Amino acid sequence: MRGKPHAEITEVWPRDGHIRLVGRIHGHPADGVWRLVLTRRARAGRRLSYAAEVKGDRFESALPVADLAAADYAPVEEWDIHLTDGEVELRAGKHLDDVRGKKKIFVYPEQRIGNLSVRPYYTIKDNLSLECRTGGTA
Amino acid sequence: MTDRQPRPLPHVRYLLLHAYGRGGTIRTVMNQANSLVAAGWSVEIVTAVRRRDDIQFPLDDRVKVSTVVDMREGAYTPPSGLVARWRDRKRGDLLEAPARYIPKGEFGYRYFNRYVEDRLIAYMRSLTSGILVTTRPALNFLSAEHATGGVVRIAQEHMNLGTHKRDVQQRIQETYPRFATVAVLTERDRDEYAELLPGTRVIRIPNAVHSLDQVPADPTSKIAVAAGRLFPQKGFDMLIPAWAKLVETYPDWQLRIYGSGEKKSELRNLIEEHHLYNHVFLMGHTDRLDDELAKASFYVLSSRFEGLPMVMIEAMSHALPVVSFDCPTGPSDVLTHGVDGLLVAPEDPDALADAMAKLMADEVLRADMGVAAVLTAASYGPDAVHHRWESLFTSLHEQRHGATAAAVATKGTHA
Repeated sequence: MRGKPHAEITEVWPRDGHIRLVGRIHGHPADGVWRLVLTRRARAGRRLSYAAEVKGDRFESALPVADLAAADYAPVEEWDIHLTDGEVELRAGKHLDDVRGKKKIFVYPEQRIGNLSVRPYYTIKDNLSLECRTGGTA
Repeated sequence: MTDRQPRPLPHVRYLLLHAYGRGGTIRTVMNQANSLVAAGWSVEIVTAVRRRDDIQFPLDDRVKVSTVVDMREGAYTPPSGLVARWRDRKRGDLLEAPARYIPKGEFGYRYFNRYVEDRLIAYMRSLTSGILVTTRPALNFLSAEHATGGVVRIAQEHMNLGTHKRDVQQRIQETYPRFATVAVLTERDRDEYAELLPGTRVIRIPNAVHSLDQVPADPTSKIAVAAGRLFPQKGFDMLIPAWAKLVETYPDWQLRIYGSGEKKSELRNLIEEHHLYNHVFLMGHTDRLDDELAKASFYVLSSRFEGLPMVMIEAMSHALPVVSFDCPTGPSDVLTHGVDGLLVAPEDPDALADAMAKLMADEVLRADMGVAAVLTAASYGPDAVHHRWESLFTSLHEQRHGATAAAVATKGTHA
Protein backbone atom coordinates (compact mmCIF):
# COMPACT_ATOMS: atom_id res chain seq x y z
CA MET A 1 0.00 0.00 0.00
CA ARG A 2 2.81 2.35 1.02
CA GLY A 3 4.36 2.55 -2.43
CA LYS A 4 1.14 2.54 -4.42
CA PRO A 5 0.16 5.89 -5.99
CA HIS A 6 -2.70 7.51 -4.08
CA ALA A 7 -3.92 10.84 -2.71
CA GLU A 8 -2.63 10.88 0.88
CA ILE A 9 -5.07 12.81 3.07
CA THR A 10 -3.56 14.99 5.79
CA GLU A 11 -6.57 17.05 6.88
CA VAL A 12 -10.33 16.74 6.62
CA TRP A 13 -12.45 19.78 7.50
CA PRO A 14 -16.19 19.19 7.65
CA ARG A 15 -17.26 22.74 8.50
CA ASP A 16 -19.74 25.43 7.50
CA GLY A 17 -21.61 23.31 4.97
CA HIS A 18 -18.46 22.18 3.15
CA ILE A 19 -15.99 19.36 3.31
CA ARG A 20 -12.48 20.61 2.64
CA LEU A 21 -9.69 18.10 1.99
CA VAL A 22 -5.95 18.70 2.20
CA GLY A 23 -3.31 16.18 1.24
CA ARG A 24 -0.38 15.15 -0.91
CA ILE A 25 -0.21 13.38 -4.26
CA HIS A 26 1.86 10.31 -3.56
CA GLY A 27 3.73 8.06 -6.00
CA HIS A 28 2.69 9.98 -9.13
CA PRO A 29 3.90 13.21 -10.79
CA ALA A 30 1.79 16.07 -9.47
CA ASP A 31 1.97 18.39 -12.48
CA GLY A 32 -1.06 19.02 -14.65
CA VAL A 33 -4.59 20.00 -13.72
CA TRP A 34 -6.25 17.95 -11.00
CA ARG A 35 -9.85 17.58 -9.96
CA LEU A 36 -11.52 15.97 -6.99
CA VAL A 37 -13.99 13.31 -8.07
CA LEU A 38 -16.74 11.72 -6.00
CA THR A 39 -18.37 8.51 -7.19
CA ARG A 40 -21.54 7.15 -5.70
CA ARG A 41 -20.81 3.56 -4.75
CA ALA A 42 -24.30 2.23 -5.51
CA ARG A 43 -24.45 3.98 -8.93
CA ALA A 44 -20.98 4.15 -10.44
CA GLY A 45 -22.17 6.45 -13.23
CA ARG A 46 -23.15 9.19 -10.82
CA ARG A 47 -20.14 11.49 -10.36
CA LEU A 48 -19.40 14.89 -8.86
CA SER A 49 -16.26 16.81 -9.73
CA TYR A 50 -14.52 19.84 -8.20
CA ALA A 51 -11.42 21.88 -8.96
CA ALA A 52 -8.35 21.01 -6.88
CA GLU A 53 -5.58 23.46 -6.10
CA VAL A 54 -2.16 21.81 -6.40
CA LYS A 55 1.15 23.33 -5.28
CA GLY A 56 4.14 21.03 -5.51
CA ASP A 57 2.60 17.72 -4.43
CA ARG A 58 0.15 19.37 -2.00
CA PHE A 59 -3.49 19.46 -3.02
CA GLU A 60 -6.54 21.11 -1.56
CA SER A 61 -10.16 20.94 -2.60
CA ALA A 62 -13.64 21.44 -1.17
CA LEU A 63 -17.19 20.46 -1.92
CA PRO A 64 -20.54 21.78 -0.68
CA VAL A 65 -22.39 19.11 1.32
CA ALA A 66 -25.66 20.15 -0.35
CA ASP A 67 -24.40 18.70 -3.68
CA LEU A 68 -24.68 15.21 -2.19
CA ALA A 69 -28.47 15.35 -1.93
CA ALA A 70 -30.34 13.05 -4.31
CA ALA A 71 -33.97 12.01 -4.68
CA ASP A 72 -33.28 8.31 -5.20
CA TYR A 73 -31.25 7.68 -2.02
CA ALA A 74 -31.38 4.53 0.02
CA PRO A 75 -31.27 5.25 3.79
CA VAL A 76 -27.47 4.90 3.67
CA GLU A 77 -25.34 5.83 0.66
CA GLU A 78 -21.58 6.03 0.25
CA TRP A 79 -19.41 8.18 -1.98
CA ASP A 80 -15.78 7.30 -2.70
CA ILE A 81 -13.22 10.04 -3.20
CA HIS A 82 -10.55 10.21 -5.92
CA LEU A 83 -8.17 12.77 -7.34
CA THR A 84 -7.74 12.77 -11.13
CA ASP A 85 -5.65 14.55 -13.76
CA GLY A 86 -7.83 13.16 -16.54
CA GLU A 87 -5.57 10.16 -17.04
CA VAL A 88 -5.20 8.44 -13.66
CA GLU A 89 -7.61 8.29 -10.73
CA LEU A 90 -5.87 8.27 -7.38
CA ARG A 91 -7.92 6.99 -4.45
CA ALA A 92 -7.93 9.31 -1.44
CA GLY A 93 -6.81 7.67 1.78
CA LYS A 94 -4.32 7.65 4.62
CA HIS A 95 -1.61 5.05 4.22
CA LEU A 96 1.66 6.72 5.15
CA ASP A 97 1.35 7.09 8.92
CA ASP A 98 1.78 4.59 11.76
CA VAL A 99 -1.83 4.54 13.03
CA ARG A 100 -3.67 1.24 12.81
CA GLY A 101 -7.45 1.07 12.93
CA LYS A 102 -8.08 4.52 11.47
CA LYS A 103 -11.82 4.00 11.06
CA LYS A 104 -12.27 4.30 14.83
CA ILE A 105 -9.50 6.83 15.57
CA PHE A 106 -9.88 9.49 12.86
CA VAL A 107 -13.52 10.35 13.39
CA TYR A 108 -15.05 13.49 11.87
CA PRO A 109 -18.15 15.50 12.70
CA GLU A 110 -21.38 15.04 10.86
CA GLN A 111 -23.00 17.88 8.92
CA ARG A 112 -26.71 18.14 8.20
CA ILE A 113 -28.51 19.75 5.29
CA GLY A 114 -32.26 19.28 5.60
CA ASN A 115 -32.78 15.60 6.34
CA LEU A 116 -29.41 14.61 4.88
CA SER A 117 -26.51 13.82 7.23
CA VAL A 118 -22.99 13.56 5.83
CA ARG A 119 -19.89 12.26 7.58
CA PRO A 120 -16.42 11.60 6.12
CA TYR A 121 -14.93 8.31 7.34
CA TYR A 122 -12.03 5.97 6.73
CA THR A 123 -12.90 2.55 5.33
CA ILE A 124 -11.33 -0.58 6.86
CA LYS A 125 -8.77 -0.27 4.04
CA ASP A 126 -7.91 3.27 5.24
CA ASN A 127 -9.47 4.98 2.21
CA LEU A 128 -11.59 8.11 2.65
CA SER A 129 -15.27 7.99 1.79
CA LEU A 130 -18.43 9.91 2.66
CA GLU A 131 -21.41 8.37 4.38
CA CYS A 132 -24.80 9.94 3.66
CA ARG A 133 -27.88 9.13 5.67
CA THR A 134 -31.37 10.36 5.03
CA GLY A 135 -33.66 10.71 8.02
CA GLY A 136 -31.43 9.42 10.84
CA THR A 137 -27.92 10.49 11.83
CA ALA A 138 -24.79 9.41 10.00
CA MET B 1 24.00 -10.91 69.48
CA THR B 2 26.99 -11.83 67.34
CA ASP B 3 26.43 -15.59 67.36
CA ARG B 4 22.91 -15.29 65.96
CA GLN B 5 22.27 -17.46 62.92
CA PRO B 6 20.84 -15.69 59.88
CA ARG B 7 17.10 -16.34 60.01
CA PRO B 8 15.32 -17.96 57.11
CA LEU B 9 13.42 -15.40 55.06
CA PRO B 10 9.81 -15.05 56.13
CA HIS B 11 6.98 -16.12 53.82
CA VAL B 12 5.44 -12.98 52.25
CA ARG B 13 1.75 -12.83 51.39
CA TYR B 14 0.20 -10.06 49.32
CA LEU B 15 -3.56 -9.87 49.70
CA LEU B 16 -5.36 -8.34 46.71
CA LEU B 17 -9.07 -7.79 46.24
CA HIS B 18 -8.96 -9.38 42.78
CA ALA B 19 -5.60 -10.67 41.60
CA TYR B 20 -7.23 -11.77 38.34
CA GLY B 21 -8.14 -8.19 37.37
CA ARG B 22 -6.30 -5.60 35.31
CA GLY B 23 -5.79 -2.57 37.57
CA GLY B 24 -2.59 -0.69 38.32
CA THR B 25 -2.33 -2.01 41.89
CA ILE B 26 -2.54 -5.58 40.67
CA ARG B 27 0.14 -4.99 38.09
CA THR B 28 2.56 -3.41 40.55
CA VAL B 29 2.01 -6.14 43.15
CA MET B 30 2.81 -8.75 40.48
CA ASN B 31 5.99 -6.81 39.61
CA GLN B 32 6.96 -6.78 43.28
CA ALA B 33 6.25 -10.50 43.64
CA ASN B 34 8.34 -11.32 40.57
CA SER B 35 11.31 -9.31 41.83
CA LEU B 36 11.15 -10.81 45.33
CA VAL B 37 10.78 -14.41 44.21
CA ALA B 38 13.75 -13.92 41.87
CA ALA B 39 15.75 -12.71 44.88
CA GLY B 40 14.99 -15.94 46.75
CA TRP B 41 11.92 -14.98 48.79
CA SER B 42 8.92 -17.20 49.23
CA VAL B 43 6.02 -15.15 47.90
CA GLU B 44 2.31 -15.82 47.71
CA ILE B 45 -0.43 -13.73 46.14
CA VAL B 46 -3.76 -14.21 47.83
CA THR B 47 -6.88 -12.99 46.07
CA ALA B 48 -9.93 -12.15 48.17
CA VAL B 49 -12.23 -13.08 45.30
CA ARG B 50 -11.64 -14.79 41.99
CA ARG B 51 -13.82 -14.03 38.96
CA ARG B 52 -11.56 -15.11 36.10
CA ASP B 53 -9.59 -18.19 35.09
CA ASP B 54 -6.31 -16.50 34.27
CA ILE B 55 -3.96 -13.93 35.76
CA GLN B 56 -3.76 -10.92 33.41
CA PHE B 57 -0.11 -9.92 33.96
CA PRO B 58 3.18 -11.81 33.66
CA LEU B 59 3.77 -13.70 36.91
CA ASP B 60 6.75 -15.90 37.84
CA ASP B 61 5.77 -19.59 38.21
CA ARG B 62 7.40 -19.67 41.63
CA VAL B 63 4.87 -17.18 43.02
CA LYS B 64 2.09 -19.16 44.68
CA VAL B 65 -1.44 -17.89 43.99
CA SER B 66 -4.36 -18.76 46.25
CA THR B 67 -7.99 -17.78 46.44
CA VAL B 68 -10.18 -17.02 49.45
CA VAL B 69 -13.57 -16.92 47.71
CA ASP B 70 -13.95 -18.38 44.22
CA MET B 71 -16.79 -16.51 42.50
CA ARG B 72 -16.41 -18.15 39.11
CA GLU B 73 -19.51 -19.79 37.77
CA GLY B 74 -19.41 -23.50 38.49
CA ALA B 75 -16.70 -23.11 41.14
CA TYR B 76 -19.22 -23.73 43.89
CA THR B 77 -21.24 -26.96 43.96
CA PRO B 78 -24.24 -26.84 46.27
CA PRO B 79 -23.81 -29.68 48.78
CA SER B 80 -26.32 -32.43 49.58
CA GLY B 81 -27.54 -33.35 53.08
CA LEU B 82 -29.72 -31.42 55.48
CA VAL B 83 -27.04 -29.52 57.40
CA ALA B 84 -25.10 -28.75 54.26
CA ARG B 85 -28.21 -27.42 52.55
CA TRP B 86 -28.92 -25.21 55.53
CA ARG B 87 -25.36 -23.89 55.32
CA ASP B 88 -25.80 -23.33 51.61
CA ARG B 89 -28.89 -21.22 52.21
CA LYS B 90 -27.00 -19.29 54.85
CA ARG B 91 -24.20 -18.69 52.32
CA GLY B 92 -26.75 -17.26 49.90
CA ASP B 93 -28.08 -14.93 52.60
CA LEU B 94 -24.58 -13.79 53.52
CA LEU B 95 -23.71 -13.07 49.89
CA GLU B 96 -26.65 -10.66 49.87
CA ALA B 97 -25.87 -9.06 53.24
CA PRO B 98 -23.78 -5.87 53.42
CA ALA B 99 -20.26 -5.96 54.86
CA ARG B 100 -19.89 -4.95 58.52
CA TYR B 101 -16.33 -3.68 58.68
CA ILE B 102 -16.02 -1.79 55.39
CA PRO B 103 -17.26 1.81 55.26
CA LYS B 104 -19.53 2.69 52.34
CA GLY B 105 -17.09 5.33 51.11
CA GLU B 106 -14.47 2.67 50.26
CA PHE B 107 -14.36 2.71 46.44
CA GLY B 108 -14.35 -1.11 46.51
CA TYR B 109 -17.35 -1.36 48.87
CA ARG B 110 -19.61 -2.99 46.29
CA TYR B 111 -17.23 -5.95 45.96
CA PHE B 112 -17.71 -6.89 49.61
CA ASN B 113 -20.51 -8.69 51.40
CA ARG B 114 -20.88 -10.62 54.65
CA TYR B 115 -19.79 -13.88 53.04
CA VAL B 116 -16.58 -12.52 51.52
CA GLU B 117 -15.91 -10.66 54.75
CA ASP B 118 -16.39 -13.74 56.95
CA ARG B 119 -14.17 -15.88 54.77
CA LEU B 120 -11.45 -13.20 54.75
CA ILE B 121 -11.63 -12.85 58.52
CA ALA B 122 -11.30 -16.64 58.93
CA TYR B 123 -8.33 -16.62 56.55
CA MET B 124 -6.64 -13.76 58.37
CA ARG B 125 -7.15 -15.36 61.79
CA SER B 126 -5.43 -18.52 60.53
CA LEU B 127 -2.16 -16.68 59.83
CA THR B 128 0.40 -17.14 62.60
CA SER B 129 3.71 -16.30 60.96
CA GLY B 130 5.36 -14.58 58.03
CA ILE B 131 4.32 -11.22 56.59
CA LEU B 132 0.95 -10.07 55.31
CA VAL B 133 0.75 -7.06 52.98
CA THR B 134 -2.78 -5.80 52.40
CA THR B 135 -3.25 -3.53 49.43
CA ARG B 136 -6.36 -1.39 49.83
CA PRO B 137 -8.31 0.24 52.69
CA ALA B 138 -11.02 -2.45 52.96
CA LEU B 139 -8.43 -5.21 53.27
CA ASN B 140 -6.31 -3.09 55.58
CA PHE B 141 -9.28 -2.56 57.95
CA LEU B 142 -9.95 -6.32 58.11
CA SER B 143 -6.27 -7.10 58.65
CA ALA B 144 -5.98 -4.50 61.42
CA GLU B 145 -8.84 -6.07 63.35
CA HIS B 146 -8.53 -9.77 62.55
CA ALA B 147 -5.03 -10.78 61.44
CA THR B 148 -3.98 -10.94 65.07
CA GLY B 149 -2.55 -14.46 65.25
CA GLY B 150 1.11 -13.51 64.95
CA VAL B 151 1.62 -12.51 61.31
CA VAL B 152 3.58 -9.27 60.76
CA ARG B 153 1.21 -6.82 59.08
CA ILE B 154 1.87 -4.10 56.53
CA ALA B 155 -0.81 -1.83 55.08
CA GLN B 156 -0.21 -0.51 51.58
CA GLU B 157 -1.95 2.72 50.57
CA HIS B 158 -2.13 3.54 46.87
CA MET B 159 -4.25 6.66 47.30
CA ASN B 160 -3.63 10.01 48.85
CA LEU B 161 -5.45 10.72 52.08
CA GLY B 162 -7.53 13.62 50.77
CA THR B 163 -8.97 11.44 48.01
CA HIS B 164 -10.53 9.05 50.54
CA LYS B 165 -14.10 9.66 51.67
CA ARG B 166 -14.59 10.94 55.21
CA ASP B 167 -15.74 7.56 56.62
CA VAL B 168 -12.66 5.86 55.17
CA GLN B 169 -10.33 8.50 56.63
CA GLN B 170 -11.99 7.92 60.01
CA ARG B 171 -11.38 4.15 59.86
CA ILE B 172 -7.79 4.74 58.72
CA GLN B 173 -7.17 6.87 61.78
CA GLU B 174 -8.73 4.23 64.05
CA THR B 175 -7.14 1.09 62.62
CA TYR B 176 -3.84 1.85 60.89
CA PRO B 177 -1.89 2.33 64.16
CA ARG B 178 -2.18 -1.46 64.60
CA PHE B 179 0.11 -2.09 61.62
CA ALA B 180 3.84 -2.69 61.93
CA THR B 181 4.23 -0.33 58.97
CA VAL B 182 2.04 1.68 56.63
CA ALA B 183 3.61 1.91 53.15
CA VAL B 184 2.63 4.84 50.90
CA LEU B 185 3.71 5.92 47.41
CA THR B 186 4.83 9.54 47.68
CA GLU B 187 6.55 11.97 50.08
CA ARG B 188 3.43 14.06 50.43
CA ASP B 189 1.42 10.95 51.35
CA ARG B 190 4.10 10.03 53.86
CA ASP B 191 3.77 13.42 55.55
CA GLU B 192 -0.03 13.38 55.55
CA TYR B 193 -0.48 9.83 56.82
CA ALA B 194 2.26 10.31 59.44
CA GLU B 195 0.45 13.39 60.71
CA LEU B 196 -2.84 11.52 60.94
CA LEU B 197 -1.21 8.51 62.61
CA PRO B 198 1.26 9.75 65.24
CA GLY B 199 3.47 6.93 66.51
CA THR B 200 2.80 4.72 63.50
CA ARG B 201 5.68 3.90 61.20
CA VAL B 202 4.83 5.35 57.78
CA ILE B 203 7.33 4.81 54.99
CA ARG B 204 7.40 5.72 51.33
CA ILE B 205 8.00 2.96 48.81
CA PRO B 206 7.03 3.96 45.27
CA ASN B 207 5.68 1.48 42.77
CA ALA B 208 8.13 0.25 40.18
CA VAL B 209 7.89 0.55 36.40
CA HIS B 210 8.01 -2.82 34.64
CA SER B 211 11.33 -2.12 32.92
CA LEU B 212 14.00 0.53 32.52
CA ASP B 213 15.34 -0.99 29.32
CA GLN B 214 13.23 1.08 26.93
CA VAL B 215 13.49 2.50 23.42
CA PRO B 216 14.21 6.24 23.75
CA ALA B 217 11.78 8.62 22.08
CA ASP B 218 12.84 10.91 19.24
CA PRO B 219 12.79 14.59 20.31
CA THR B 220 12.15 15.70 16.70
CA SER B 221 8.78 13.95 16.67
CA LYS B 222 5.76 16.27 16.64
CA ILE B 223 3.54 14.03 18.70
CA ALA B 224 2.46 14.65 22.29
CA VAL B 225 1.05 11.69 24.21
CA ALA B 226 -1.31 11.25 27.14
CA ALA B 227 -2.75 8.04 28.54
CA GLY B 228 -5.37 6.96 31.03
CA ARG B 229 -8.95 5.89 31.45
CA LEU B 230 -11.35 8.29 29.69
CA PHE B 231 -12.78 9.39 32.99
CA PRO B 232 -13.08 12.79 34.78
CA GLN B 233 -10.11 12.05 37.08
CA LYS B 234 -7.70 12.14 34.12
CA GLY B 235 -8.70 15.68 33.12
CA PHE B 236 -8.69 15.14 29.35
CA ASP B 237 -11.64 17.56 29.29
CA MET B 238 -9.08 20.25 30.26
CA LEU B 239 -6.31 18.98 27.99
CA ILE B 240 -8.40 19.20 24.80
CA PRO B 241 -9.29 22.92 25.21
CA ALA B 242 -5.64 23.59 26.14
CA TRP B 243 -4.55 22.03 22.85
CA ALA B 244 -7.09 24.21 21.01
CA LYS B 245 -5.04 27.24 22.02
CA LEU B 246 -1.92 25.81 20.36
CA VAL B 247 -3.25 24.43 17.12
CA GLU B 248 -2.84 27.62 15.09
CA THR B 249 0.77 28.15 16.13
CA TYR B 250 1.69 24.45 15.90
CA PRO B 251 -0.53 23.01 13.13
CA ASP B 252 1.84 20.13 12.37
CA TRP B 253 1.69 18.73 15.92
CA GLN B 254 -0.74 16.09 17.09
CA LEU B 255 -1.96 14.95 20.48
CA ARG B 256 -2.65 11.25 20.99
CA ILE B 257 -4.71 10.18 23.97
CA TYR B 258 -4.55 6.45 24.78
CA GLY B 259 -7.20 4.69 26.83
CA SER B 260 -10.85 3.77 26.81
CA GLY B 261 -13.67 4.69 29.13
CA GLU B 262 -17.14 6.00 29.75
CA LYS B 263 -16.41 9.63 28.81
CA LYS B 264 -15.33 8.89 25.25
CA SER B 265 -18.32 10.49 23.51
CA GLU B 266 -18.11 13.63 25.69
CA LEU B 267 -14.43 13.98 24.79
CA ARG B 268 -15.24 13.40 21.13
CA ASN B 269 -17.81 16.21 21.31
CA LEU B 270 -15.21 18.49 22.84
CA ILE B 271 -12.81 17.68 19.99
CA GLU B 272 -15.52 18.55 17.46
CA GLU B 273 -16.57 21.71 19.27
CA HIS B 274 -12.96 22.99 19.12
CA HIS B 275 -12.46 21.68 15.56
CA LEU B 276 -9.52 19.53 16.64
CA TYR B 277 -10.45 16.41 14.65
CA ASN B 278 -7.27 16.76 12.59
CA HIS B 279 -5.00 17.23 15.60
CA VAL B 280 -6.29 15.45 18.70
CA PHE B 281 -6.99 11.74 18.54
CA LEU B 282 -8.66 9.32 20.92
CA MET B 283 -6.50 6.30 20.20
CA GLY B 284 -8.40 3.74 22.28
CA HIS B 285 -6.76 1.00 24.34
CA THR B 286 -3.41 -0.35 23.18
CA ASP B 287 -1.52 -3.50 24.15
CA ARG B 288 1.69 -1.85 22.99
CA LEU B 289 1.87 1.33 25.02
CA ASP B 290 5.68 1.13 25.17
CA ASP B 291 5.89 1.38 21.37
CA GLU B 292 3.37 4.21 21.28
CA LEU B 293 5.16 6.23 23.99
CA ALA B 294 8.41 5.95 22.05
CA LYS B 295 6.80 7.69 19.03
CA ALA B 296 6.11 10.91 20.94
CA SER B 297 8.43 13.70 22.07
CA PHE B 298 6.67 14.66 25.32
CA TYR B 299 4.06 13.30 27.73
CA VAL B 300 1.15 15.29 29.20
CA LEU B 301 -0.53 14.59 32.53
CA SER B 302 -3.76 16.54 32.98
CA SER B 303 -5.18 14.65 35.98
CA ARG B 304 -7.25 16.21 38.75
CA PHE B 305 -5.59 13.78 41.18
CA GLU B 306 -3.31 10.76 41.13
CA GLY B 307 -1.70 8.26 43.47
CA LEU B 308 1.65 7.79 41.82
CA PRO B 309 1.19 8.13 38.03
CA MET B 310 3.03 5.07 36.73
CA VAL B 311 2.40 5.65 33.02
CA MET B 312 4.04 9.06 33.39
CA ILE B 313 7.13 7.40 34.89
CA GLU B 314 7.06 4.78 32.13
CA ALA B 315 7.00 7.63 29.60
CA MET B 316 10.02 9.16 31.34
CA SER B 317 11.86 5.85 31.03
CA HIS B 318 11.48 6.39 27.25
CA ALA B 319 13.25 9.76 27.59
CA LEU B 320 10.03 11.74 27.31
CA PRO B 321 9.87 15.02 29.23
CA VAL B 322 6.57 15.67 30.99
CA VAL B 323 4.14 18.57 31.16
CA SER B 324 1.95 18.06 34.20
CA PHE B 325 -0.57 19.68 36.48
CA ASP B 326 0.86 19.88 39.99
CA CYS B 327 -2.09 17.83 41.29
CA PRO B 328 -2.17 15.75 44.46
CA THR B 329 -0.17 13.53 44.53
CA GLY B 330 2.72 12.19 42.56
CA PRO B 331 3.78 14.63 39.84
CA SER B 332 5.67 16.93 42.22
CA ASP B 333 7.16 13.88 43.96
CA VAL B 334 8.64 12.64 40.71
CA LEU B 335 9.26 15.76 38.60
CA THR B 336 11.70 18.61 39.13
CA HIS B 337 10.22 21.65 37.39
CA GLY B 338 12.49 22.85 34.60
CA VAL B 339 14.72 19.78 34.74
CA ASP B 340 12.80 16.69 33.57
CA GLY B 341 9.47 18.39 32.94
CA LEU B 342 7.24 21.37 33.59
CA LEU B 343 4.82 21.50 36.54
CA VAL B 344 1.95 23.95 36.27
CA ALA B 345 -0.93 25.10 38.49
CA PRO B 346 -3.52 22.29 38.83
CA GLU B 347 -6.71 22.42 36.76
CA ASP B 348 -5.45 25.45 34.82
CA PRO B 349 -5.73 24.71 31.05
CA ASP B 350 -4.06 28.02 30.09
CA ALA B 351 -0.99 27.22 32.17
CA LEU B 352 -0.93 23.71 30.69
CA ALA B 353 -1.09 25.18 27.15
CA ASP B 354 1.75 27.62 27.88
CA ALA B 355 3.98 24.83 29.20
CA MET B 356 3.22 22.59 26.22
CA ALA B 357 4.00 25.49 23.87
CA LYS B 358 7.35 25.94 25.57
CA LEU B 359 8.31 22.33 24.79
CA MET B 360 6.80 22.36 21.30
CA ALA B 361 8.86 25.44 20.42
CA ASP B 362 12.16 24.00 21.58
CA GLU B 363 13.55 20.70 20.32
CA VAL B 364 16.77 21.10 22.30
CA LEU B 365 14.78 21.60 25.49
CA ARG B 366 12.80 18.42 24.75
CA ALA B 367 16.01 16.47 24.19
CA ASP B 368 17.70 17.80 27.35
CA MET B 369 14.69 17.25 29.57
CA GLY B 370 14.22 13.80 28.05
CA VAL B 371 17.69 12.76 29.16
CA ALA B 372 16.97 14.08 32.66
CA ALA B 373 13.67 12.17 32.64
CA VAL B 374 15.45 8.83 32.07
CA LEU B 375 17.67 9.53 35.08
CA THR B 376 14.63 10.33 37.22
CA ALA B 377 12.82 7.19 36.10
CA ALA B 378 15.80 5.07 37.15
CA SER B 379 14.89 5.34 40.83
CA TYR B 380 11.53 3.71 39.97
CA GLY B 381 13.14 0.69 38.33
CA PRO B 382 12.27 -2.82 39.54
CA ASP B 383 15.63 -3.28 41.29
CA ALA B 384 15.65 0.07 43.07
CA VAL B 385 12.17 -0.56 44.44
CA HIS B 386 12.36 -4.22 45.40
CA HIS B 387 15.41 -3.57 47.61
CA ARG B 388 13.24 -1.27 49.70
CA TRP B 389 10.67 -4.00 50.21
CA GLU B 390 13.37 -6.52 51.05
CA SER B 391 14.90 -4.33 53.71
CA LEU B 392 11.47 -3.50 55.17
CA PHE B 393 10.51 -7.18 55.39
CA THR B 394 13.88 -8.15 56.82
CA SER B 395 13.87 -5.44 59.46
CA LEU B 396 10.29 -6.19 60.56
CA HIS B 397 11.00 -9.91 60.69
CA GLU B 398 14.19 -9.36 62.70
CA GLN B 399 12.31 -7.03 65.03
CA ARG B 400 9.60 -9.59 65.67
CA HIS B 401 11.93 -12.54 66.22
CA GLY B 402 15.01 -10.65 67.28
CA ALA B 403 13.04 -8.96 70.09
CA THR B 404 13.12 -12.10 72.22
CA ALA B 405 16.74 -12.82 71.42
CA ALA B 406 17.70 -9.22 72.12
CA ALA B 407 15.78 -9.26 75.40
CA VAL B 408 17.62 -12.44 76.48
CA ALA B 409 20.94 -10.94 75.43
CA THR B 410 20.25 -7.74 77.40
CA LYS B 411 19.34 -9.72 80.53
CA GLY B 412 22.54 -11.73 80.09
CA THR B 413 24.69 -8.61 80.10
CA HIS B 414 23.08 -7.30 83.26
CA ALA B 415 23.31 -10.59 85.17
